[in-house]
Amino acid sequence: MNEKLLVIEDLVTRFHTEDGVVKAVDGNSLHVGQRETLGIVGESGSGKTVTALSVMRLIENPGRIERGSIRFMRSDLLKISEKEMQAIRGKAIAMVFQDSLSSLNPTLTIGEQIGRVLRFHTKLSSKEIRKRTVDLLTQVGIPEPVKRASNYPHEFSGGMRQRALIAMAISCNPALLILDEPTTALDVTIEAQVFELVDELKASYGMGTILITHDLAVVAASCVRVIIMYAGRIVEEAGVDDLYERPLHPYTRGLLNSIPRLDDSMPTRLYSIPGEVPDLISLPDGCNFSPRCRYATDTCRRDEPRVEDVGQGRFVACLRVNEIDEL
Amino acid sequence: MSDQQRDSTKLGIKAHRGLLQEFWHNFKRNKLSLVGGFIVLIYLIIAIFAPLLAPYNPVEQFNAPKGEHNPLSPLSRSREGHLFLLGSDKFGRDILSRAIYGTKTLLEIAVGSIAIAFFIGVAMGAVAGYRKGTWVDELIMRAVDIMLSFPTLVLAIALLGAFGIGKLRLGPIVISNMAKIMVVIAITYSPRFARVMRGVVLQEMAEDYVDAAKIAGASGRRILSREILVNTIPPIMVQASLMMATTVLTSSSLSFLGLGLQPPHPSLGIMLNEARDFLFLGAWWYAIVPGVFISLAIFGFNLLGDGLRDSLDPRQARRVHR
Amino acid sequence: MGIYILKRLLLAIPTLIVASMVIFLLIHLAPGGPVRVMLGPMQDAVLVEKLRHQLGLDLPLYQQYFRWASKALHGDFGISVTIQRGASVMGLIAQRLSVTLEVAALSMLVALLIAVPTGILSALRQNRLSDHISRIIALLGVSIPNFFLGILLILVFGVHFLRPWGAGGFVPLSKSVADNLIRMVLPAIALGTAYSAVVMRMMRSAMLDVMGQDYVRTARAMGIGKASIVRRDIVKNALIPVITVMGNSIGYLLGGSIVTETVFRLPGVGNLIITGVFRRDFPVIQGIVLTIVVIRIVVNLAVDLLYSYLDPRIRYGGVE
Repeated sequence: MNEKLLVIEDLVTRFHTEDGVVKAVDGNSLHVGQRETLGIVGESGSGKTVTALSVMRLIENPGRIERGSIRFMRSDLLKISEKEMQAIRGKAIAMVFQDSLSSLNPTLTIGEQIGRVLRFHTKLSSKEIRKRTVDLLTQVGIPEPVKRASNYPHEFSGGMRQRALIAMAISCNPALLILDEPTTALDVTIEAQVFELVDELKASYGMGTILITHDLAVVAASCVRVIIMYAGRIVEEAGVDDLYERPLHPYTRGLLNSIPRLDDSMPTRLYSIPGEVPDLISLPDGCNFSPRCRYATDTCRRDEPRVEDVGQGRFVACLRVNEIDEL
Repeated sequence: MSDQQRDSTKLGIKAHRGLLQEFWHNFKRNKLSLVGGFIVLIYLIIAIFAPLLAPYNPVEQFNAPKGEHNPLSPLSRSREGHLFLLGSDKFGRDILSRAIYGTKTLLEIAVGSIAIAFFIGVAMGAVAGYRKGTWVDELIMRAVDIMLSFPTLVLAIALLGAFGIGKLRLGPIVISNMAKIMVVIAITYSPRFARVMRGVVLQEMAEDYVDAAKIAGASGRRILSREILVNTIPPIMVQASLMMATTVLTSSSLSFLGLGLQPPHPSLGIMLNEARDFLFLGAWWYAIVPGVFISLAIFGFNLLGDGLRDSLDPRQARRVHR
Repeated sequence: MGIYILKRLLLAIPTLIVASMVIFLLIHLAPGGPVRVMLGPMQDAVLVEKLRHQLGLDLPLYQQYFRWASKALHGDFGISVTIQRGASVMGLIAQRLSVTLEVAALSMLVALLIAVPTGILSALRQNRLSDHISRIIALLGVSIPNFFLGILLILVFGVHFLRPWGAGGFVPLSKSVADNLIRMVLPAIALGTAYSAVVMRMMRSAMLDVMGQDYVRTARAMGIGKASIVRRDIVKNALIPVITVMGNSIGYLLGGSIVTETVFRLPGVGNLIITGVFRRDFPVIQGIVLTIVVIRIVVNLAVDLLYSYLDPRIRYGGVE
């Protein structure tokens, strides 16, 4: 039980575009436990989606996974053949994407799309596949599942579609479920319902989960551990409660500070971290965050911080982490 | 308008001007458009210098050597010793000379039709675009739709059917056959120009520099019209070049059908028509020469137009090559 | 879906009406008036009057139009004046229309057979060299006029390989399907090739568009095999816009058929309209142009129907 479900070590993924080399994921390591929910938080372009796509080996030209290892169920996913990988995708590891309307084939019914996954990964008969499809739709809370199975994606509402995508993902009982900003396109009440559903499924299927989002609030509710990414690198890792109570990395601090609070006194300006996310092609020397960091020193601008274990299950990549309490 | 406002308008316009320069730069780099441009240039030279290039008079008939009949194969000679580089036709006329003059006519008709279609179409399209949403726009666009519901060749044939073959006599006015053909083809293609122009004008009007100029006030509007028009030039040029290819195709089709320039005028289409009767007698050059002259012209204009279009929006070209 | 079709229908009718007005007015563009033109050298004042009255040209313009239009609605396109005195124009057209339609249909088939597989392959391959080559070949295909291609085909296959390809002439389907089709091979290739170059480019760009879509990524993420993805995600979605554009180019095919019929001497309406232009037979010209426009509008509607059937987003209106 102590064996981890997924262990990524020193992953480097780069995109070789005409404008330059984009260092999307720059030497990251992380792990997910058997039934654990890991949150990955970061802004657009921080590398969180690319990390997930790297795990799925869905990186295409001009992108390339340059080095690293991804251990999953006793194999290194980066070393197995494409055929073996195909057997894992959708079956042992499943991913739910962000925009549900564009993520579904408009000319196939939902039933056909779920059925296709089952047909590829299981040896069930057509009849059994149909039954299982209806079961799945019921499990994810879609009413009139039999009728709905023969509907097309555009006939569903946004929330329903997301549930259908989730149904597709859990259809073959995956050990690891990756959710990439599953509710960004949905409004808040629907979002809450979807997360409730995911929690139920996590419990009943016993899946390990990676939840990718830019929304810290969502992470607080669902995750046990959180990783914060910035400009392609992991800057902090901690248990959820620890992170919120006492953020150690200046970026994490900035993120938490920018969330407006109910108990803020009235004329408080909303805080936002000054500056902009760096261009992943031309990253600054030293710490990636240094141009925007209020505590940055010359050392910070010169030396690259590594992720360090600071005890109590917390990891931070900041040269001044030891002084953080005074800052 | 304040200096600041004028400056921001100018800045917006300058940023946009950069597009034209970028366009030219891309065009020079694109191999296809250079080849196309080269071919078109050759054709222009042939057309302009036809009298100097053609070895013989295109309508002069020569006698075949004793015991032989016209059409004669390439590199043979007439009874008097004239060399037919590309052979002779059924009346003993030099095919090369006829092809050269035929090319001249072909280009003249193509350029003339495009010019007329351009003026009509662009005017219509610009007016419709400026007055978007009003009854003027609706009227013009409905007219365009109706015109486009006729297949191009069919419309051209119908118009020629009404006007008749040969010179057009409207009471005291006589319009030459060539002019008549140019007008007919122009009528057929102006709707497309109108559509493109309108689209381009609408696109330009939605650009930021237009808003900036509007905010800047009255004199902004003057800079505006000039700048909008300047920026519509590249896409219109692309359209014109592509249309040249289609016009050449249409006009040569019409003359092949016998509805164009009448004999003994040298016309590539008519040469192909005449060639049909001699195919089984083995006179391949009679068909191949005019056919190649026509095809190469169309090919050149197509390459040029495609290249121009890619230079205009390199992002599109890159997407294609992904 | 019903509303979609209804809207299209309502749009088509006024287009047809105005187009018919244009066709009607066509003959009045003739210098000197249609009657003098049709009679040609036989300019006898009495004859002119007689013909004018017979054709109803002494009536006010709008009345003339209504007369002409209502007759046309009943299938009466008038009587041929110079080609075949007294023969019903509709009769002449009816005899020949099937030939033209056959040429157009077979050309479309040829185009599809060439363009779809090459378009699909070229999109899937996507290496720079084959990309460039296929682009140039497609351009070449478009640049050779169909009448030249037809003559080239006759030259190569008819002259050098002899019968039955280049035997020429026409054998009606009713007499012998095999004989008919064999004689249609060259005309269909001549007209279909240029067209197929256009369709190939369309197919390829539609494929590229679809390949970049998110749902293709989802399918891959679910471990679906490449063949199934190409078939059910990529090609299936790419085919929809391609088919509709193809259907809408019936106009081009009908126009091109006129030329093809001349090259291969086929007895279709294309040939007839050319004769009509030479002989100044206005009723024939009008009748054929009207027929072509009607066919085009009808086919466009049929294609719209097909499109709305193929694309589920239109067939079953959405929640959104």
